[in-house]
Amino acid sequence: MDAISVLRMCPKVAERLYAAPPQAGRVHSVFERVLNLAWHDGRLLTLQGRGPMLAPFAVELPRLPCSHGLRPGVSVRRDGDTLTLDGAFIEWQGARIADSAMPAGGGGPGGALSVLLAGLHAEGAHGLSSTIGHRARSRLAGGLGRRDPEVFIEGARGLLGLGEGLTPAGDDCLVGALAVIHRLTRGWLLAHPEIEASVAAAAATMTTTIAREFVVHALAGRFAESLIDLLTAESADAVGGAATRVLQSGATSGADTLCGVRLALGALGVERA
Amino acid sequence: MTTLTLVRPSAYHDSVALLALARALRADPGVSEVAALMATEANKALMAQSGLLTMEAGAAGPNDLVIVIQAEAAAQAESARATAETLLANRHARAQAAGRARPRTIESARRRLPGANVALISVPGAFAAAEALKALGLGLHVMLFSDNVVLDDEVRLKRFAVDRGLLVMGPDCGTAYLSGVPLGFANVVPRGRIGIVAASGTGLQQVATLLAARGEGISQAVGVGGRDMSEAVGGLMTLQALDALGADRATELIVVIGKPPAAAVRARVAARLRDIGKPAVVAMLGRDVIVREDGAITTVATLEDAALAAVARLTGQRWTPNAFALDAADVRRRILRARQELAPGQRGIRGLYAGGTLAHEAVLILEPLVGAVASDLRPGSDASHRVLDLGADEFTVGRAHPMLDPTSRIEAIERCAKEPDVAVLVLDVVLGRGAAADPAGDIAPAVEAARGEARAHGRALAVVVTVVGTPDDPQGLRGQIARLEAAGAWVLPSNAQAARAAACIAGGERVTNALLGAAE
Repeated sequence: MDAISVLRMCPKVAERLYAAPPQAGRVHSVFERVLNLAWHDGRLLTLQGRGPMLAPFAVELPRLPCSHGLRPGVSVRRDGDTLTLDGAFIEWQGARIADSAMPAGGGGPGGALSVLLAGLHAEGAHGLSSTIGHRARSRLAGGLGRRDPEVFIEGARGLLGLGEGLTPAGDDCLVGALAVIHRLTRGWLLAHPEIEASVAAAAATMTTTIAREFVVHALAGRFAESLIDLLTAESADAVGGAATRVLQSGATSGADTLCGVRLALGALGVERA
Repeated sequence: MTTLTLVRPSAYHDSVALLALARALRADPGVSEVAALMATEANKALMAQSGLLTMEAGAAGPNDLVIVIQAEAAAQAESARATAETLLANRHARAQAAGRARPRTIESARRRLPGANVALISVPGAFAAAEALKALGLGLHVMLFSDNVVLDDEVRLKRFAVDRGLLVMGPDCGTAYLSGVPLGFANVVPRGRIGIVAASGTGLQQVATLLAARGEGISQAVGVGGRDMSEAVGGLMTLQALDALGADRATELIVVIGKPPAAAVRARVAARLRDIGKPAVVAMLGRDVIVREDGAITTVATLEDAALAAVARLTGQRWTPNAFALDAADVRRRILRARQELAPGQRGIRGLYAGGTLAHEAVLILEPLVGAVASDLRPGSDASHRVLDLGADEFTVGRAHPMLDPTSRIEAIERCAKEPDVAVLVLDVVLGRGAAADPAGDIAPAVEAARGEARAHGRALAVVVTVVGTPDDPQGLRGQIARLEAAGAWVLPSNAQAARAAACIAGGERVTNALLGAAE
């Protein structure tokens, strides 16, 4: 028997675990450091090894299950506070809660963040540099800068599913921009619920299952731990460390996310994009 | 023109893997364009813009991987499709093999291989320290390939290792040879009697290959990480590795490679070397190195000199530093020819390096000869000469290291060709296990194109290169050199000589005479 106790999980994940029926889901995809579960509610839930929470829908374990039979399609069952998958028992009784919500902060990011992002010459992945990518980014920035929800939605929809990767570059860029918006001008999003409704609905069909999960959580203000650390960092060292951790996300996802952070800061006049 | 489409439902590959796949397919004969993307609506629009949106791609869904190949002839497209199938199958096979044989934790790996005594850790930096600590806890030496490990964690790990008599090689340790087993980026060099402690991967490779060229081999080579000799880390692993080499019967001479250490660490290293008593060569690449022999310890200023001094020590020959190993008259002729082709105003040197230590060494060699050199290695510097370490984090965001992926270097070469004041490019090409399959072939077309671009504008562009490799490397040293020379590059035997050649071409007669003596 391979018993593993959950270390941390995000509040929304805890709710979803407790709400799950006995046939809770199935394995969606298996990666070196992450297991994605297709949950009974039609969304994803991620099991990860020890370290910063990689997604707002993640569960941190001291290690991933050792079974070699873990592959897409394997059944995941829930019994009380325990998940069972291919001979592994994952218990969440006593797990700590890791807050994945971006705290609102009216003061703007520290100077160190602006300096760091101004120094980044990364354009993001090729998809973002395409004509379509340029146009979508421009609409997103324009919509945010002028606080025009329609234009913003148009830009966001243009970014969904755009470019390379498991989480396409456009989705990563959008998540980065949404992180800044939730940090600096959440009121605007709350005043225009059509943004979340429209972009979430579009994400359901316009991008990959994994990217959709990130976008939907980002629209609701929930993010990976490194992105929260970046936007709440108060010293140059903290900014540098958090930016490094963001860059280490995925193959190119981190760079594309920073591209979105920079775009939004520029649109809000915090940093010249 | 013909177009073929592959659709893989619910296939998940990361962006770097897909970019590498597309790049490999574009290199197939006759292939003009390739798309390898998830079939989202936005990506379909991208494919439509490129004329690659086929019916099959259009019908695929957002969780499907589509590969569209456009080629001149149907047979060529079919051939590329076969290549794509093979590459995807290889990836799948690796993943499957990993599923069967690769354990998920260090603990289970240790259970399967009880005799193992080294763990090589290559995970993102944020996770690396925790994994290294686990390995050390199990009594394993650690080679920490990961970078971006914070300093506090490095100190903690190394103290923990010292308490247990273990090594932590790294972080950011690219190369090691342990009892004949190469780890990381490593050239194929013979086993021998020289032990190396290095705070630099490419520095170690340069010295090991130059030793191999002179018939000498490596007993052990231990990377310690670029910060080990800083005051904060205190040389913990350098001292530990020196003790190991001191006790190693196969090691007759020790070479220490790094950047200038903190004063206290320098003293500790020197004292330890004296205690060990074996002859030693120390190459701490800094500004004010005094080349000297102090008992058993020889201090040198360049990587090449480290190799030459080590060989001289072991063979009982006398060694004095030389600017060029080649015939001085030949060198002078080549420099003169290159200078005569330059247009007025062409004086700039651009170093475009894959190896960080080689870039650092080039700056140290160039500055006394041609004046200030701007460099990403020293933020804030500004001058008409520039040396870039293209393997530094700022250039590798979202892409592989230039020793694996030539894209960033090719782009840099293209940019330099457009700068009217640039006279010379200095490049390094690193061969060996782990490096690109054909690094010279990757950059030679860019070198040819850059020289053509300069000629088209009434200028010239000299290109000097050093190839860090051995005849036994999988890429083949001779073929790599021939490919670069065919592109018009001047290939020199070491990085130090390449940097000096660049200085002579850009700096003119004064520099040439300083290095080669006045012409007769």
